[in-house]
Amino acid sequence: MKKEETVKLISAEGFEFIIDKNAAMVSQTIRNMLTSPGGFAETEHRQVTFPEISTTILEKICQYFYWSLQYASGKETEFHIEPELTLELMMAANYLHT
Amino acid sequence: MADRSLFMEGGQLESPLVRLCIEAATQSGDAVETWRRQRRTLERLPSQLAEALLHRLLCRRLLYPSLLEVFKYSVEKIDLRGESSVDAEWMAYLGAFQYLCSLNVSDCHRINSSALWALSGMRYLKEVDLSRCSKVDDAGVKHLLSIQTIEILCISETSVTTNGVTLLSSLKRLSKLDLGGLFVTDTALASLQVLTNLQHLDLWGSDISNEGASILVKFPNLTFLNLAWTKVTILPNVSSIACLNMSNCTIHSIFKGEGNKARLSKLILAGALFKDITKAFSYFDSNYLSFLDLSNSSLRDLSFLSFLHALECLDLSGNLVGDDSVKYIAYVGANLKTLNLSNTRVSSVGVAVLVGHVPKLETISLDSTPTDDLAISYIGMISSLKVVNMKCTNVRGVIQQNGGDAECVLSLTALENLKQLEKLNLEETPLKDEAIIPIPNIKQLTHLSLRSSFLTDASLHHLSSIPNLMNLSMQDAILTNAGIESFNPPPSLQVLDLTGCWLLTKDALLSFVQRHSDIEVRHVLVTTFLSDNEDNKYHSPSQTLIRTSQQRRFSSSPLKSEIATIIDQRVKYSRAELLSMQFACTSVGPSSNPPTSPK
Repeated sequence: MKKEETVKLISAEGFEFIIDKNAAMVSQTIRNMLTSPGGFAETEHRQVTFPEISTTILEKICQYFYWSLQYASGKETEFHIEPELTLELMMAANYLHT
Repeated sequence: MADRSLFMEGGQLESPLVRLCIEAATQSGDAVETWRRQRRTLERLPSQLAEALLHRLLCRRLLYPSLLEVFKYSVEKIDLRGESSVDAEWMAYLGAFQYLCSLNVSDCHRINSSALWALSGMRYLKEVDLSRCSKVDDAGVKHLLSIQTIEILCISETSVTTNGVTLLSSLKRLSKLDLGGLFVTDTALASLQVLTNLQHLDLWGSDISNEGASILVKFPNLTFLNLAWTKVTILPNVSSIACLNMSNCTIHSIFKGEGNKARLSKLILAGALFKDITKAFSYFDSNYLSFLDLSNSSLRDLSFLSFLHALECLDLSGNLVGDDSVKYIAYVGANLKTLNLSNTRVSSVGVAVLVGHVPKLETISLDSTPTDDLAISYIGMISSLKVVNMKCTNVRGVIQQNGGDAECVLSLTALENLKQLEKLNLEETPLKDEAIIPIPNIKQLTHLSLRSSFLTDASLHHLSSIPNLMNLSMQDAILTNAGIESFNPPPSLQVLDLTGCWLLTKDALLSFVQRHSDIEVRHVLVTTFLSDNEDNKYHSPSQTLIRTSQQRRFSSSPLKSEIATIIDQRVKYSRAELLSMQFACTSVGPSSNPPTSPK
């Protein structure tokens, strides 16, 4: 995987998730951060920090990005969400527009 | 499908992951327990998410009073209309909602005046809907008086008396007040004249007379007024009114008086009696009137229409008008979009008069008129039409050429010219198989309703070639099991109504339903969840909202409350699950009685 095609997402606790840029673009918010002109630090370093999102939730979010790409390409599986994550995940999803 | 509509209503919730989360959070009582144990309140949850979650819980019957507590810092709007379980305990929790600005508990029949005590002193409440909570009386109104922020209050068909209405004068911010079906006297209305912010006032069925109506000029901002079913005959010049409903009143004059003419845009006078309609219509500025409902008003002469050039929607159904009056409609037809001439004496000759004068007409209804195939050929010339209703007319679909027996013309061919036609209703007309041959050439058709006992399998197969058909109704047709077996529905079909097709057997229908699970089939033998669904639609809260207050007035409330108490099992399961259960059931026992039928 070339470095240009990946992005780094950092959780509140400082955990780093390196994922495909395409996957991260599932989120409208991240897409805006990475593509908007004006030389934002996020665009330049391809790295976004989320001080409000915990590691567990960010991991789930990343899983969702990949699941969403698969689903869009026709692989219809179920995305399981543990009940204890639902509310936190909902808020994160709302923030990320995903 | 219910889920989808839920989120479309929300508007902002297009995020698919949010939707999945809400689904997961409301999967079961255990799931709810899991996230509930994590925190005492959901204060960080944005209000639109909290509201979506709350309504999903409500739909799935997982909401109970003490669970409401977690929402008390996050929910701003709550809609509990028609929920039979909502009682004083619920209200006690709702009263603690810090930021609540809108509360709808209409049709919650357990709400009484003392339950409203919990609401007293709320700080941000702007909108309260208590419509048809019949146990709410003047004592309930007193509790509401402490909420000075109220702007919208609906207390129609409650037990509030004219004394209670008088008390409302202290809610100075009121802009909308619905007092429909209450015994409001002229004196009570006079005491409300301090409410100068009032824009919307509903007084249908009240005891207001001409004397009370004369007070209405004191409301400078009034734009909507409903005086249906009252004794008012003379409405003074309330020049701010844009929308007026005086259905079922005897009308002598409206807006007569000095000064500016009212700029009325919507006028509903269904079932009204006129002393002199031309005179009654002469006191307001008719250049703005776009919606006029004069149904069932015993009108014969339409010459008064000639001033109404802005009309877009005209309802003349159930009047005694004939072909000679249609010229007045044609005269003001330039902007007309919807025209209802059902149950009038207008025949094909009258329809001919309209041709060329109604360039924007989209909907025409000629239900139960003496029109025939000739009218179809004229309708074919009104190219803007999208909806045509010719139910219960003399349309046969075949015109015999001048006495000859060999030459037949299919009249429905004329409809091929209507490139925008989406809905066609030809129910209760004696159509035969050959008559419907031209229909598949109407490419944009989405809804087709036929009801003729001459139609057979051949018609059903022929209609399967309509590319965009979503809703097909073929009631009372001679369809056979073999016919339905080999029927290949158009890909977009959603509803197939086969009511009254008596030759079909249950097995044939069920096998069709099994093969096409995405199509809703309506037939007396396809009972279980499909017919239940129908009932649900009828009693759903949204329907209650749509239903006009007049209709509500004559409905039998005891029956309704009984229906509302039956817990709806369907909401617990998805459509696919229900389908599988249905077939599991039929495979075990041969005769499965329809479950919980509210009838």
